[in-house]
Amino acid sequence: MSVSSFRAGAREGFIGFLPLSVGLIPWAMVTGMAMISTGLTPLQAMGMNVIVFAGTAQLGTLPLIAVGAPLWLMVLTALALNLRFVIFSAAIAEGFRGVGTPTRWACGHLLTDGVFAHCMEKMLKVEDTRWRLGYFLAPSLWSWLLWQVFALVGVFAAGSIPKHWSLEFMASIALLVLLIPMAKQRPMLVAAMVGGATSVILRGMPLRLGLIVGIVAGIGAGFAAEHWHARKEAP
Amino acid sequence: MSQDATLWFAFVLIGLATTLPRASFIVLGNRVSLPPVVQRALRYAPAAALAAIVAPDVLVVAGNFAPLNPKLAGIIAAVAAAALWRNPWLPFIAGMAVLLGLRALTGA
Repeated sequence: MSVSSFRAGAREGFIGFLPLSVGLIPWAMVTGMAMISTGLTPLQAMGMNVIVFAGTAQLGTLPLIAVGAPLWLMVLTALALNLRFVIFSAAIAEGFRGVGTPTRWACGHLLTDGVFAHCMEKMLKVEDTRWRLGYFLAPSLWSWLLWQVFALVGVFAAGSIPKHWSLEFMASIALLVLLIPMAKQRPMLVAAMVGGATSVILRGMPLRLGLIVGIVAGIGAGFAAEHWHARKEAP
Repeated sequence: MSQDATLWFAFVLIGLATTLPRASFIVLGNRVSLPPVVQRALRYAPAAALAAIVAPDVLVVAGNFAPLNPKLAGIIAAVAAAALWRNPWLPFIAGMAVLLGLRALTGA
């Protein structure tokens, strides 16, 4: 019984995530190409891809690796780029109730932007622990596989795909498609607009800190909009 | 320490700087719980983050705020496709077609 609920969750999670996962393909390929153009060997590039498994952190630290920057600066940069995951981790943590600690570490390692956005709502609502685990792991492991395979394609294709095709634009499209259903609620729309605007205004901040400030500002604006909305509707 | 070893050490450190934030509350979950107010506020994190990641990509060209660009047109086409039709692949086709079509037309 528990095995079948794991499978049912995995199937639903995978099918819902499949169309959105195409956005990972250009990101992975672009990251693979960037690692090679930084001067890594194919083995080093794929080693980084497996160990780090994070497009933003990989692309963000490559320029530092290229110039031989100190290790602490690379770590600090990666932490700044990954700060959003602390927020995501806290928001989705309740969805792992009933799951053991080793599995939680594995799930944490696999947590990505796309899977978080796709899985969070049902992870919090559904009671069945096995179903939730399947629902999270299927799209996560699929993302991992796509990330490794297409980074490898990028590693070997480096230099032969014309840059002006701008395949990485598909990643932006995928992220925005994830945003559309959320933005149908007014406070969510406010959160998105403030987050986006702040991130654009603060784009010059070092270490991409503008992204983090944008997220915090967006959360605050969404929360404020929710309060204002509730007070307006109360008699 | 050889250069190759330093590089692999750097990968491990960057990997830790990725996995620790990701696993933080998922692993601590049972022992630490955030107050309900914070949890409610955190519901807005994905919308804010997705917009904060995408907006500079489609509104900024070479460091300057420039909303009239092929990428924004591509994003608008993708959003329209997602809003009008159920087909999940269509936003990608529409977005890329508009981006590459406009670039071809304008020669940019």
